Formats: sequence, structure tokens, C-alpha cells
Amino acid sequence: MSDLTLETVDHSGAIAETFDELGGGTRADFFRRSLIGGAALTAALETSAVARPRNTAKDVAILRFDLTLEYLQAAMYSEAERLGEISARTLEWARVVGANERGHVRAIRGLLGRDAVKSPRFNFRGVTEDDRLFTETAVAFEDLTAALLKTQAVQVDSRHVLAALASLHSVEARHAAWIRHIAGIVPSADAFDEPTSKAKVVDLVESTNFVTSAVRTKGRRRPRYTG
Amino acid sequence: MNGRRPTRPRALGAALVLAGLLVAAAVAVVLLGPSSGPSSADPALPASPRSALAPKNVPLGPRPVVYWAPVLRAEAARQRPAGPEVVADVPARTPEGTANIVLVLGQAERTGGQLWVRVRAPGTPEDVSGWMPRAALGGYTPVRTRLVVDRERRTATLLRGTRPVFRAAVAIGAPATPTPSGDFYVRNQLHRYRSPFYGPVAFGTSARSPGASDWPAGGFVGIHGTNRPDLIPGRVSAGCIRMANRDILRLARLMRVGTPLSIR
Repeated sequence: MSDLTLETVDHSGAIAETFDELGGGTRADFFRRSLIGGAALTAALETSAVARPRNTAKDVAILRFDLTLEYLQAAMYSEAERLGEISARTLEWARVVGANERGHVRAIRGLLGRDAVKSPRFNFRGVTEDDRLFTETAVAFEDLTAALLKTQAVQVDSRHVLAALASLHSVEARHAAWIRHIAGIVPSADAFDEPTSKAKVVDLVESTNFVTSAVRTKGRRRPRYTG
Repeated sequence: MNGRRPTRPRALGAALVLAGLLVAAAVAVVLLGPSSGPSSADPALPASPRSALAPKNVPLGPRPVVYWAPVLRAEAARQRPAGPEVVADVPARTPEGTANIVLVLGQAERTGGQLWVRVRAPGTPEDVSGWMPRAALGGYTPVRTRLVVDRERRTATLLRGTRPVFRAAVAIGAPATPTPSGDFYVRNQLHRYRSPFYGPVAFGTSARSPGASDWPAGGFVGIHGTNRPDLIPGRVSAGCIRMANRDILRLARLMRVGTPLSIR
């Protein structure tokens, strides 16, 4: 996993093919903002009375970033489960992994309390409706999350948060291995896993264009309905 | 020999039992004795930190009534994926300038190198279902409410699941311009405009009034407030569904764009 990109797991080019079809859609700068937001949050918490004594500012920033990634994964599995367009075989593991990811979201939100960020909006661009794309994207995100958690484990201040990240990491790694096996990808090609940086995660998530802005369905124009 | 007990076998048995006990005691000393456990000089392992998280699996939850998606670029809805027959032209904007939306019907097919999904879009006079490229649509938003308008009783009822969460008296179309019956959906929400006629909030729907085909903005039926609450309930409108201003404000707090609308 030293070069963790979509290309690494998108052996057939199916994901890239789909994104190319879109012709450069909305640029998802949510994660980029999240990086900046982390620094701003650190500064804000240093002077804020609302800082939670259990979590340091650095731990809050790390957990907020993880929460956003968990939102993305949970939303992707939930949408695929509800739409029911993926095969029964894929749905079988997606249900298990989806329940885990929703559990991660709930737990991290609970840990962050008022510091929790809201879920961004997502456009999965057909990934939740296509068996092959869904499986390959799931592998990419499980690999990505496992690699990110490994990086963060050496950065957190609190031993309790470290224990939390370790418990998430092992589950995400199991997801990755399970889905890789199903997808016919070797679960552990290398003897050691390399960690990945937050910036690399941001780049990869941005490349998917999954994070979108809200569309405007409310207006102020005078109605022209029939009356 | 009656009444005499053998003495030698008893003594032998007692000796064997005693020997067995001695062996067991020796084994216990070896296994449990201080030489086999950690000495007082060995470092003790620190207690593991408690995890700050206690994640449990979270089930999926109730299925939404429907998903809607915004139309990112004007595109035709087709009879079949990549087929030539167009059932409706679907613009990216509504006549009111908001993002146009379609309902996602939950079927997808990869044809001609791209993914197609079946959607419901406004048609004439009723909604039409057709296939649009997935790439022409934005992200899916789940909807958990459904609005039912009963023309006979002149009521509007909002359901969340099967539970009614809102009910109000409404005015509907006059006999010459009746409110159409059928299944439609809420497309947009307008507010803060200057028109007492429509009240404080107006919802645009995909339904078209059959008596207003030459209406400038397509003759779409709205659900809105009014400056004539004395006409509710009644058959007075040009197809729109009117309700008292306090009711439309209440409805606006409960109903989201994309809500399916059944007019009976």
C-alpha cells in the first residue's frame, strides 16, 4: 500500500472511466477545507471555554477528519443497501460493513459531542448502483482509512483516543482484507503497510468528486403556479 | 472364615492411596510453586488504556419513501437506456429558477459505456418515467414523507411512514380548471416573494393543471397560502392547492422538496 491511489485498486479502470464520463464535475473541496479547519479549530479551542477536557485540540481535529471519512463510507454503504442495485452476493458483505461504518459514525460523533462536524453531501455518481464499481471503491476507501488511522495513531495525545483509533484500525483493515479477497485482490501483497498522510487522503477523496455542495431548491421569485 | 476380614489387602490399599497423595502434592508444588511464576523482580504489564469509543453496529433503519436527484445538465428522459425515443425533455432549472429535480425509481443499467437510471420527471399531463444518464444527475437525497390530497374531502395530509404528522383543509381547482389526480412530487419551495395572493410560502409540484395548458410557466400546480382564507375549503382555484397561511407555514416546517404527492 505504499502508493495508495485509486489506480492501485482500480485495476480495470472502471472507477476512472466513470469519473471521466462526468467531464469535471463539482470540485469537492470539503476535505481541503477540513485540513484548514483543523488548524483553525486548534487555535479556536485554545481560547474557547467549550473545549472538552477529555479531548485535546489536536485529538479533536484528528477525530473530526476521521468522522468525515466515516460519514462518506457509511453513506456509500447505506445508499447501496437501500437502492438494492448491487448483487445479492455484494449486498451480503455490504450490509455487515455498512453496519460497522454507521457504528463508527455514531461512536465518533458521541466522542466529539459539540465538536462533531456535520455530514457533507455526497454524490456517489453511480458507484452505489454498479457492482464492480462499488466493490472497487469500497476496497479503496477501506485501504485508505486503515492507512490514515495508522498515521494518526502516532499523532494523538490521549491514550484513550489512541486505543479508539487502534480499535477502528483493526476493523477497517479487516474490511479491506475481506473485500479485497472477494474482489480477487491479494489482501496483503507487502510485508509492511506504509501510513498515508492526511493530504494524500484529501487528494484521493477529491479525485472522486463524491463530496458535493447543496443544490438550490428554494427560491424567492414570485410564484407562477396556476394559482 | 465368616466374620474375619483380610488385613493385608487393606493395608496395601491404604499405602497406595498415601503414595498417590504424596505424588499429587509434589506435582502441585512444582506447578504452583514460586519457582514457576513471575518473580517479584519481573516488570508488571501496565493496564491497557480504555478505548474512548465503544462502537456498536448500527442497522440501516427504515427505508425512505423515495430518493430524488437534482438535474445537473438538461437531458432527455428516454424510453430505454441510450434509446432514441424521448419521453420528456428534462431541463436543469424549474421555471422559478431553482434546480430541477427528478425522483429516482431504483433501476440502473449500464448501456453504451455509461450508467443509466430510471427516473420520474414532469410530463404532460402526468409524470413520465424514463431513463437518464446517471452522469446528468447529482447526489441522491432520501425523502421520508408523502403528501396526500383528498379532493373529495378537501384535505391535505402529510405522512411520515404511515403516521400522519399534518392535516389541513384545502381549496382545490374550480370545475373548469380542476386539480389533476395522480402521483406527482414537490419540486421546489418559494418564500419571501411579494405576492399576498400566494401567501408566505409556495411549493411547486410536478403536476400540471389540465385547464391551464397555456399558462406562461407551464401551468404547474402549486401548494401555497392565500389572502382569501374564507374560500377554504372550496373549489375555487385554477388548479393549485391553497391552504390557510398558518397551515402552509406549518407544512413548510415538516415537508421537504422531493416529497411524493398523491392527489386523489
